[in-house]
Amino acid sequence: MDLQLLISGISLGAVYALVAVGYAVVFSVLKFSNFAHGGMISACAYMGYYFQRAFPAPPPFYVTLLFSAFAGVALSFLIDTIAYRRLRKQQSPAIYYFLASIAISILIVNLLSIFFGKNLYAFPPIFTSTTFYIGSIRFSSIDTLILFVSLAILTFLILLINRTRIGLAIRSVAINSQTSRLMGVNPDVTIMTVFAIAGALAGISGVLLAMKLSVYPTLGSQMMLKGFVASVVGGLGSLGGAIIAAIFLGVIEIYITYYLGSLSTPIVTFGLMLIFLAVRPVGVAGKFAQEKV
Amino acid sequence: MSAYQISLITLTCISVITVSGVFTMTSLAGMFSLGQAAYMSISAYLTFCLARYLNLPIWLTAIVGIVMSGIVAFIISLPSLRLRRDYFALLSVGFGGMVLAIVILLGKWTNAAVGFSKIPKVNHLVWIILGITVLIVFVVRNIKYSRFGRMCIALKTDEIAARSFGINVYGLKVKIYVVASVIAAVGGICFGLRNRVIAPDSFDWSASAEMQILLFFGGTNSLTGSVLSAASLKLLPEFLKGVSIFGMNLHDFRTTIYCILIILIINFRTKGLMGEKELSFKLIQKLAKKINRTVKKGGSK
Repeated sequence: MDLQLLISGISLGAVYALVAVGYAVVFSVLKFSNFAHGGMISACAYMGYYFQRAFPAPPPFYVTLLFSAFAGVALSFLIDTIAYRRLRKQQSPAIYYFLASIAISILIVNLLSIFFGKNLYAFPPIFTSTTFYIGSIRFSSIDTLILFVSLAILTFLILLINRTRIGLAIRSVAINSQTSRLMGVNPDVTIMTVFAIAGALAGISGVLLAMKLSVYPTLGSQMMLKGFVASVVGGLGSLGGAIIAAIFLGVIEIYITYYLGSLSTPIVTFGLMLIFLAVRPVGVAGKFAQEKV
Repeated sequence: MSAYQISLITLTCISVITVSGVFTMTSLAGMFSLGQAAYMSISAYLTFCLARYLNLPIWLTAIVGIVMSGIVAFIISLPSLRLRRDYFALLSVGFGGMVLAIVILLGKWTNAAVGFSKIPKVNHLVWIILGITVLIVFVVRNIKYSRFGRMCIALKTDEIAARSFGINVYGLKVKIYVVASVIAAVGGICFGLRNRVIAPDSFDWSASAEMQILLFFGGTNSLTGSVLSAASLKLLPEFLKGVSIFGMNLHDFRTTIYCILIILIINFRTKGLMGEKELSFKLIQKLAKKINRTVKKGGSK
């Protein structure tokens, strides 16, 4: 029974991880929490849903995922142009980014609920059975898929950031955009790349979350808080830390739900966040967001 | 006055109260919080549940509610204000979620998500709320111009410089946070008295975000601007009720309009609508003189 809880927790954590990585990648470079990520996830879930429904014979799963990722990139560029570009030019304090991203998030949720209503749309199933067994332990198909997709994405991202020239540029802009300009890095292009990555992540997680839950306007913003706590606990801006913390959070949440009921999870989540921020603000593995005096 | 007009006035007043609470914290001390609505819920639930289950008079339980909100704010601020400002803002989101979870957890008394509606009726509510609003705006204005307020502004501008001038940064932050939370708590009680029903939904993080949006719209450095924008933007949806474009009622788009306005403000007029200008007697005198002069000139011609 305990092993079953652990497995369910890891699967839930994988979902949170997917959301948390999207935050972490933007935070690592721009040093603000991109609340708009939750709204983007919802919007991408809707786009994926209507793309899937647009064809008489539903396209294969990976086509929808790819389409949604590209839609996410486009949306991300759009949001960057509308809300953040001028702020960057004016070098506004982080609080304005924060407010702008919150406004964008509320805006997207609001527009979605005006135009599509608050009804739930069910994504067509891609697996013939929702669960499978290994031994006596039950695995949820979609959760397992999400776990593998997020691990694949994480590997890809870590390789991209640590091994390529683009990754080097991202790391240098994350440390200091003015100095990186002196080294011949174009910070604007780099920031666009980061937003593209975040958008693609939002697109992929939108479709996957929609398959797991279903499509509704607050889909992304509900997940947002969990992904956000995970990225705080993991160390803001650290990708590996965010993944570890997200899975940790998922496991804790499943155990708490099992023993204490689901209502007490926000309390424990907040406590965890408070303890981590008070004791170890850099998180499990954080090295990016260190305080500069 | 008709009942509708009275409800509009009280709505505006509550908005002004909550925004002036946020003003003390965000504008004076530069702390950004998305958990202020949680203090509204703490005081409102405490006040009305105690009044209901212990049969106490409402003014007594209101004091208990406000004091408890202050104590909770004090306890929460002790560890969290040691953190950087952005971490504090993040933490406040979690705090709001936690308070609402507790409210739902105590569903036996608070009636959980359905909402608690056994709120006594108060006579002459509109005058009481108007009086409280004026009092609070006056208090906040005085805080801004006091020594305490100037210390806060120094702290907002540069924390390290403020410390070098001998300001106890941490203690000041705790104080201002408690003040802001107490004002939010007063707003919460007024909210409950006006609506006669309180539900966890009306105190979630988007309610706190709305306060911040109203504040930034009016201008973070101007109390006049904040009060004006709190009143006008809160009333705006009421005027949009009858208007429809392309067959869609503009009233449904009120949140959309808020968000678009705030994005425009942040991008094009960072200091808010009023900038740093304040409405004061001096300004009125100056304006009167100007008008007088132009009238005289016009007369001599």
